[in-house]
Amino acid sequence: MKVKVVTNILEANDRLAAENRKIFQDLGVYVINLMSGPGAGKTSILEQTIKGVNGRIKLGVIEGDIAGDDDARRIGNLGTPVVQINTGGACHLDANMIRVVMDDLPLKDIDILFIENVGNLVCPAEFNVGEDIKVMLLSIAEGHDKPLKYPLMFQESTALILNKIDLLPYTDADLEKMRKDSLSLNPKLKIFDVSCRTGEGIGDWVNWLLTIVKK
Amino acid sequence: MHEVGIAQGILDIAIENCKKQGYSGIESIKVKIGKAAGVVPDSLLFAFEVAKLDTIAEKASLAIDEIPVSGFCNDCSKEFTVDEAYVVCCPYCKGFSIRIDTGRELNVEEMEVF
Repeated sequence: MKVKVVTNILEANDRLAAENRKIFQDLGVYVINLMSGPGAGKTSILEQTIKGVNGRIKLGVIEGDIAGDDDARRIGNLGTPVVQINTGGACHLDANMIRVVMDDLPLKDIDILFIENVGNLVCPAEFNVGEDIKVMLLSIAEGHDKPLKYPLMFQESTALILNKIDLLPYTDADLEKMRKDSLSLNPKLKIFDVSCRTGEGIGDWVNWLLTIVKK
Repeated sequence: MHEVGIAQGILDIAIENCKKQGYSGIESIKVKIGKAAGVVPDSLLFAFEVAKLDTIAEKASLAIDEIPVSGFCNDCSKEFTVDEAYVVCCPYCKGFSIRIDTGRELNVEEMEVF
């Protein structure tokens, strides 16, 4: 007996993501899904963002890692509400993982919630978790060929943070090519050049965050 | 990279539909997977063989219908279909203003039940 089904396999995730988004919206929480490859500086930009915002808006963080709680400790040390998810091997966060931990945060007191995804330039871009926007990082040391090699994340993101620009003199990375290829993939992409190490460019990024949350 | 989760998702959908319609087992499941969906067919087949054990689909086979990436170029107004998994520009005029129409499918299409 043949039975027609025609159901999207990720539908369950998308449905849960939509429910998450509604919960966040009702509580007035703006949610940013922060993605990059491992070591691009996701936790470092969060630390700099917390310092840069300096209490003007209230932040919260969900940390996603395969194992360990180093990142959550770093954020917690700055006095920002944080909860750690260990995926136990999964290469990305999904909507259900967010649902399970969201009540551990004081959501009513948070203006922007950052969801730091698992370090991976591929899979996180495929799964909505209930975010308003996706923001990605790419560090100079990863090389200028990455946008065209991993197009989806660049296409799905609203903003791209090019981190570690203090390393430019020590690498062969072509910053202009990084920018040009990224914009070719996504002409509306907002690009920030920053160095989490020196603090360069953090101000522009923080100001942009302050403006999006005012909307 | 997340083929185990996808295999589980396929089984969840198939088993739920099978039970809802009053059947007792699944013989085969047909899925449509776009080439740009980020799924490796061989890995999915492997994951499916493991995930189906001890379910009403334990004897089921999985047929994968791979859908190529196709789209339309706003610059040269041509429709295109490519072999690659990802397309960043129009294969004819190299323009970046393209609309992707197919290639990201991830659907359970139909199944044989008993």
